[in-house]
Amino acid sequence: MLSQFSAIEGRSFGYWKLVIFLGVLALMGLGAFVAVEINGHGITGMNNKIAWGIPHVFAISLLVMASGALNVGSMSTVFAVKQFKQFGRFSAFLAIALLIGGLAVLMLDLGRPDRLLLTVMHMNFRSMFTLNVFLYSGFILLCFLYLWSMFEYQQFTKVIGSAAFLWRVILTTGTGSIFGVIHAREVFHSAITAPTFVAISLSSGTAISILLLVTTFKRTNRVLEDKVVFGLRNAFIFFTFLVAYLLVVEKFTRYYSPAFYDVQSWILTGPYAWLYLFGVWGATIIIPLAVLFNPKFGNSIGGVMVASFSSIIGTFAFVAHLLLAGQSYPLKMFPGYEVSSAFLDGQVATYTPALIEFVLGFGGIGIAGVIYLLGIKFFRMIPNEAVAPEGYELPWNP
Amino acid sequence: MTMDRRTVLGLGGVAAAGVALAPGLTLIAAPPPDKSEASGDQRWAMLIDVTKCESNCTACTRACRQENNVPLFGDPTRDIHWIRKLEIRDKDHRRPSVSLPVLCNHCENPPCAHVCPTEATFIRKDGIVLVDKHRCIGCRYCMLACPYKARSLVYHKTEFPEGGNPNVPIRAKGVVEKCTFCVHLVDDGKQPACVQACGHAGHKAMIFGDLNDPKSEIAMRIREVKTQTIREDLGLKPHVHYQGL
Amino acid sequence: MRSLPSYPARFPLLLVLVWAIFVLPSVVLASGTPDHDASANSHPSYAGGPPQLEKAKGESCIRETEWMRRNHMDFLKHRRAETVRQGVRIRSESLLKCAECHQSHEKFCDQCHGYVSASPDCFECHVYPK
Ligand code: HEC
Ligand code: HEC
Ligand code: HEC
Repeated sequence: MLSQFSAIEGRSFGYWKLVIFLGVLALMGLGAFVAVEINGHGITGMNNKIAWGIPHVFAISLLVMASGALNVGSMSTVFAVKQFKQFGRFSAFLAIALLIGGLAVLMLDLGRPDRLLLTVMHMNFRSMFTLNVFLYSGFILLCFLYLWSMFEYQQFTKVIGSAAFLWRVILTTGTGSIFGVIHAREVFHSAITAPTFVAISLSSGTAISILLLVTTFKRTNRVLEDKVVFGLRNAFIFFTFLVAYLLVVEKFTRYYSPAFYDVQSWILTGPYAWLYLFGVWGATIIIPLAVLFNPKFGNSIGGVMVASFSSIIGTFAFVAHLLLAGQSYPLKMFPGYEVSSAFLDGQVATYTPALIEFVLGFGGIGIAGVIYLLGIKFFRMIPNEAVAPEGYELPWNP
Repeated sequence: MTMDRRTVLGLGGVAAAGVALAPGLTLIAAPPPDKSEASGDQRWAMLIDVTKCESNCTACTRACRQENNVPLFGDPTRDIHWIRKLEIRDKDHRRPSVSLPVLCNHCENPPCAHVCPTEATFIRKDGIVLVDKHRCIGCRYCMLACPYKARSLVYHKTEFPEGGNPNVPIRAKGVVEKCTFCVHLVDDGKQPACVQACGHAGHKAMIFGDLNDPKSEIAMRIREVKTQTIREDLGLKPHVHYQGL
Repeated sequence: MRSLPSYPARFPLLLVLVWAIFVLPSVVLASGTPDHDASANSHPSYAGGPPQLEKAKGESCIRETEWMRRNHMDFLKHRRAETVRQGVRIRSESLLKCAECHQSHEKFCDQCHGYVSASPDCFECHVYPK
């Protein structure tokens, strides 16, 4: 059943055009980094109330998708879904590429990146950041081992793949906990923030795998059987429901308590309501489900692609909403009182992202993209043809 | 916040006689020894009597800017505030508004220090929470974690101001900073600049001292009158207490 | 398929590449302000023809001149950790005191640092009184 793997040719004009495009994105990101280094964060749109802006949205979204990209591999290694075994290499490799892209943005946005080594010389183990340093590096290592075992030592794949799966759950929990543990911010602080991150990494990781698999196979003229994609689609639908479930539980619990009326109705009506309604609910949940449950679009590759793309946009929106709404909602220092000051206390913070922040963020996408493209050119990541096992029927279709 | 205003005033009046001397005394003290060290036996804290804080007075914030060379960039979202004046008012506007300064609360459980990946923010032995500006990598996680918004990132390059104070370094961009309780003055046995200024302005709404010394002004006041801290519910145990809130 | 070296051989290559992307820039960047107490002799000296330094005021430095020449960086960094983090202040030897005798950092500290191409960023923040 398993077909041979081969590196892609990667000599066509289109391929190099794509590499160069993404390379330029990456270089522009580095340029943005240098500009911020020289001029200070004054040239970004961030301020003392919105201390984390667009670069962090990109970085954290990429990190979330990175752990999600391992899904396809885990589904075959841990959950024995045979027809995904052929994507194991792709999956582990994509996870590494996205993780590196996300981490790069996170580091390049530091106020003093020249002092980066201090993070390894003086560690505060109570900080979610420090824990994440270990989680990220461990994840990269596990993905490498996983990949290596799939190439060379198949007898270890099961063990390492299972370890990587466990690790990625902890990793995404760690990423979500960066926000979840912050008691001062009403929008972040919740035990369910981290699980929601896990769920959204499942849905967006599957979505990006679908997008890249379909395009890669198409552009290299390889056979990708529809049934295989629809298998991924079914998983994707399930993951999207999981996200919706967690979002609903969160809102329900919050709305049950009058203490949260203020902040919750602000989320639904305030300046970031559009991001929440159209981004988080619209793009992550409603559009994908509406498309996939339509018998016509749901059973066409194009429809699945649209749904996947929407889900990825939704993931960015989810992180952006959490970050921006979370930081701009005024801190409740004196509950029940109106507060005013020269530091704009008691007001919703304003934030106008600067172009340079987007350049930095897209730089991360460029880095991840270049790594992916070069990886599939130089290593045998992609199967020659991907077909479902004989006699395999999808249990369910829209 | 439910304290009866008249009792507060009465108590405050008695205590004021004591405070009046405190800042003056330390100013004429002998120069500090050549070598000194922070001691774990001390627990520095501040008490702010809100009833004595005047709404249009900015003596404390101006003194802070002068002492610590804190610049204003003219952009309210990026200006650095180590201490700021807040006006609070009940939502129905039934009572007059109350004015009070807010600064770093030097918590016993500081969330900023908990989240700092490099331990750049730490608690000194004597309870002062400081940013080691030599170690800060500018990740700004602390700015998300602080419930008092006491922290600022330096967004722009700054120059040493005309007539500035050379004893306090200025700042480099990309580093997070906040109130230090004027640690350089405290180590010299003096009072923080805001407390001195509040005294000179004649309000004497702020006192500063060692909570562990039972005979200190602040320890006595906190024992005798009802004081509060901001966001007690978070369990951070701030060392800036408010009276008459 | 083209006759490329087989995949296992390239794995270490990729590892090195990824490592290089991350670790090398940070090492290069961080070398500007390391916070470690390297042993004194690991610092370059300017033995082959020192630059012209401004004459210091006062009799002698806070330590022997030769010792200062070799160890002032570690001394300063050690003191800085002690002062900021432990609250130990030795007033006669603070960074501000250097300026009382070495009156201009451009003509003293920077001369030498330019020569050994070190660029401590201390005076971005610290005031060097004239
Ligand atoms: C009491 C005055 C005084 C103070 C204070 C002082 N120095 Fe010096 N320093 C001197 C003198 C005098 C010399 C010797 C110059 C010479 O030999 O030509 C010297 C020499 C040096 C040298 C070696 C220069 C060379 O010629 O190789 C260094 C480095 C140095 N000092 C650094 C410092 C630092 C850093 C501080 C602050 C912690 C400091 N000094 C404080 C007076 C002082
Ligand atoms: C005699 C020449 C000389 C003089 C004068 C001198 N330095 Fe240095 N300094 C050095 C050398 C050599 C190094 C080590 C550079 C290295 O390790 O790469 C150094 C390193 C340093 C470092 C550590 C830099 C880093 O990046 O690790 C600091 C801080 C420093 N000097 C401060 C001063 C100050 C402040 C003065 C003036 C009061 C001064 N130095 C005067 C030669 C000098
Ligand atoms: C981002 C700004 C910043 C930079 C850059 C910086 N410092 Fe500091 N430094 C401070 C602050 C703030 C203090 C605390 C002052 C205090 O508590 O009195 C301090 C304190 C110190 C002290 C103890 C106080 C004293 O006067 O002795 C030393 C020593 C010191 N720094 C050395 C250095 C050296 C050496 C460098 C360069 C390698 C450096 N600093 C770079 C901000 C800075």
